[in-house]
Amino acid sequence: MATVALDHVTYIYGAGTPYEIKALDDVSLTVKSGTITGIIGHTGSGKSTMVQLLNGLEKPLSGKILLDGEDIWAKPKEMQKIRFRVGLVMQYPEYQLFEETVRADIAFGPKNMGLSDEEIEARVKDAAAFVGLDETLLNVSPFDLSGGQKRRAAIAGVMAMRPEVLVLDEPAAGLDPRGRDGILAGIRNYAAATGSTVIVVSHSMEDMAAFCDEIIVLAHAKVFLSGTRDEVFSHADALSSVGLDVPQITHLMSALRRRGLDVPEGIYTVEAAKEALRPLLE
Amino acid sequence: MKNIAFGQYYPARSPLHALDARMKVILAILYIVCTFLCKNVFCFGALLASALLLVLCSRVPLRIILRSLRPVLFILLFTAVLNVFLTGGETELFGFWRLHVYVEGVYHAAFMMVRIVVLILTTSLFLTYTTTPIALTDAIESLLTPLRWLHVPVHEFAMMMTIALRFIPTLTEETYKIMSAQKARGVDFSHGGLIRRARALIPILIPLVVSSFRRADELAMAMECRCYRGGKGRTKMTVPHLHVYDLFALLLVVAFGAGIVWLNRQGYGYTMPR
Amino acid sequence: MKKMENRTNPENFIHAADLRCSYRDENGNRQEILHGVSFDVARGEYVAILGHNGSGKSTLAKLINGILEPDGGTLVVAGKDLASPDVTDDDIYELRRQVGMVFQNPDNQLVATLVEEDVAFGPENLGVPTAEIRQRVDAALATVGMTDYARHEPHRLSGGQKQRVAIAGILAMEPSCMILDEATAMLDPAGRREVLSTVERLNREKGITLITITHYMNEAAHADRVIVLNDGKILLEGTPAEVFAEPEKLMAAGLDVPQCTALVHGLRASGAALEGEPVTIEECADLICRAWEEKRHGDRRA
Repeated sequence: MATVALDHVTYIYGAGTPYEIKALDDVSLTVKSGTITGIIGHTGSGKSTMVQLLNGLEKPLSGKILLDGEDIWAKPKEMQKIRFRVGLVMQYPEYQLFEETVRADIAFGPKNMGLSDEEIEARVKDAAAFVGLDETLLNVSPFDLSGGQKRRAAIAGVMAMRPEVLVLDEPAAGLDPRGRDGILAGIRNYAAATGSTVIVVSHSMEDMAAFCDEIIVLAHAKVFLSGTRDEVFSHADALSSVGLDVPQITHLMSALRRRGLDVPEGIYTVEAAKEALRPLLE
Repeated sequence: MKNIAFGQYYPARSPLHALDARMKVILAILYIVCTFLCKNVFCFGALLASALLLVLCSRVPLRIILRSLRPVLFILLFTAVLNVFLTGGETELFGFWRLHVYVEGVYHAAFMMVRIVVLILTTSLFLTYTTTPIALTDAIESLLTPLRWLHVPVHEFAMMMTIALRFIPTLTEETYKIMSAQKARGVDFSHGGLIRRARALIPILIPLVVSSFRRADELAMAMECRCYRGGKGRTKMTVPHLHVYDLFALLLVVAFGAGIVWLNRQGYGYTMPR
Repeated sequence: MKKMENRTNPENFIHAADLRCSYRDENGNRQEILHGVSFDVARGEYVAILGHNGSGKSTLAKLINGILEPDGGTLVVAGKDLASPDVTDDDIYELRRQVGMVFQNPDNQLVATLVEEDVAFGPENLGVPTAEIRQRVDAALATVGMTDYARHEPHRLSGGQKQRVAIAGILAMEPSCMILDEATAMLDPAGRREVLSTVERLNREKGITLITITHYMNEAAHADRVIVLNDGKILLEGTPAEVFAEPEKLMAAGLDVPQCTALVHGLRASGAALEGEPVTIEECADLICRAWEEKRHGDRRA
């Protein structure tokens, strides 16, 4: 388990060019150890930048990225070790597959860590099990897999490195509901089995509402809201005001309040809505 | 990686931007000829002055133009040093050890530098800073059209050029993304010997090739769906017309060339050998 | 399920009956993807085709556009029988002029280095006279709200903007039908709204037949008719309200049930008197509100 924190981090894209964009502006936050934390924000809110900062792919212009209280840029030469501790799954990770077999591709990260063959094999199997990839598929070429399977294989490739912090950028983008549910379940399996901290970046409020313990909302390069998901979703109107899509059910509750029904704020699941409405209708 | 400043279109309204792209290709070629016609100090002076005049006319900031010269700075200095020391002559300026510097050498080095600078300056001014890549492609296609009679697939080449131009930024971005993803899996691009570094490229190149093929496939399908059937029966949204203005520019450059030839005859100081 | 009036009218824009399609896998075996699909689409209609990945929905789109050939059954699009053996290349060309496709990946369908040049690509291929291309491009860009970006490079645009350029590129070919093949799958919610509202407006105002292929339930809510495909067969067909009324079937087909629908069905199951099938949030709120008021009146009377 490890704690990740940002300490007054500022990052500017294309600093010094006409296309200069401030992606993060003096952001400080702490991701609680052992939780599944969602980072939500619309395109351009700085969330993808944050992902790349967390494992040292980009360097903040100012401020520190802290892993268990230590600045990850304290020893830039040992960045590779940091990257093994903070695993990153980029957007559309299936495009990173390259080995001849799925097994070899999942083993690629652990191999770079210099692990023994037995250890690698065990990790490959575990990782495949987390994401629900059948063992018979380990021997086929990753390019023969279906879209959803490719995504699973790619995520397993990072899980096999057993990072203490697993960061995923839009892990379910473009997948159909079945594929999405499979991926999210796989991430949950990994978190449960290893106790790792998981950070998921997404713009899908409905997915995050069903999936995360904690939520951090980014808007205009700053932290807009953060807290448990109940706390964050109780500010539905504020979320809408920064262009985020709150779950449909939250919209419905607002619409009902406008019509005079006495329903509480902060409802984001169908179950909670049912509980709130039942006494009014029965 | 993300900063491909060399040869990028600079949007502005200027006499140079207004010229027909085909004419600019012709003018660029004529200018190249001119730089090679120059032999003496008058010519090179006139050449440099004309190039600076073109820069002014283009309304492209000098700062941006100088940036495009930066990559060739080393070559420029290297040829200058070679020319200074290796050109023989009669009037020795100074010498030490086995190296001798002659006045002729200094002239020669200066001329070569002016020639290279003007060459880069004018071609990039005519062809990239003031001409969009697509206009340039169209111009080349249009100028090469006569070759169609020789069954040269001119349209197909132009289309390939356009698509390449369109996809360079996309693929650059993709390369960067794949590199980041593999770095996150522990690939190290900056350490180790040549073989290790070359091996580190495999996890980049394979996904890139696979994705390029997929893109090519999808693009081909999208093009067919938009009724693309090659160059046959195709029309153009922008059909360039030559204006009096373009012909005037041509006249000006031809006159300039004639002027250079005339100046060459005015023997003064060092003259470059044939 | 209610039979649509246009059910088998040969005048329909698309008429498919027992349509089959298969492909050869790498071992040379034929794998059938569509196992006899029948449906019609009337001119000017807005039809959403839903299904999970691999349900055959993209295959269907590719058949309508002549990218794939049917292996059996009937498929008549814009009066052309695509299943007949004597379909010529010219027929397909004419078909594609009328049926425009917007694909999933916005990057892989823009050809030119400038937005307006890309929009001109289609009309140029059709051999439209120069002056008219200019008019069509300007009009198309104005329709999708991208006039200000006419001379921008496509790679600097957002995903939603790129897709709108792709739509303009098709619009400039003056099609009578537009197919969006998962065109919103790679976009963020804002981009998705941008694209959908654009094509829905074209359908309403210009009468362009619209077929959207998607796995997002919410995107089907505004369609005139929804067709749900599951494993190469039509599972459900009807208005959005009719289709949303079958949450179990939708779930079995690997699709999400819209939250409002799930709520209404859940409340009904626990005894609430809710009549009708709401599709939009406002309809759902009205429905619940009516039930609430009726109950209040009932309580007062009692």
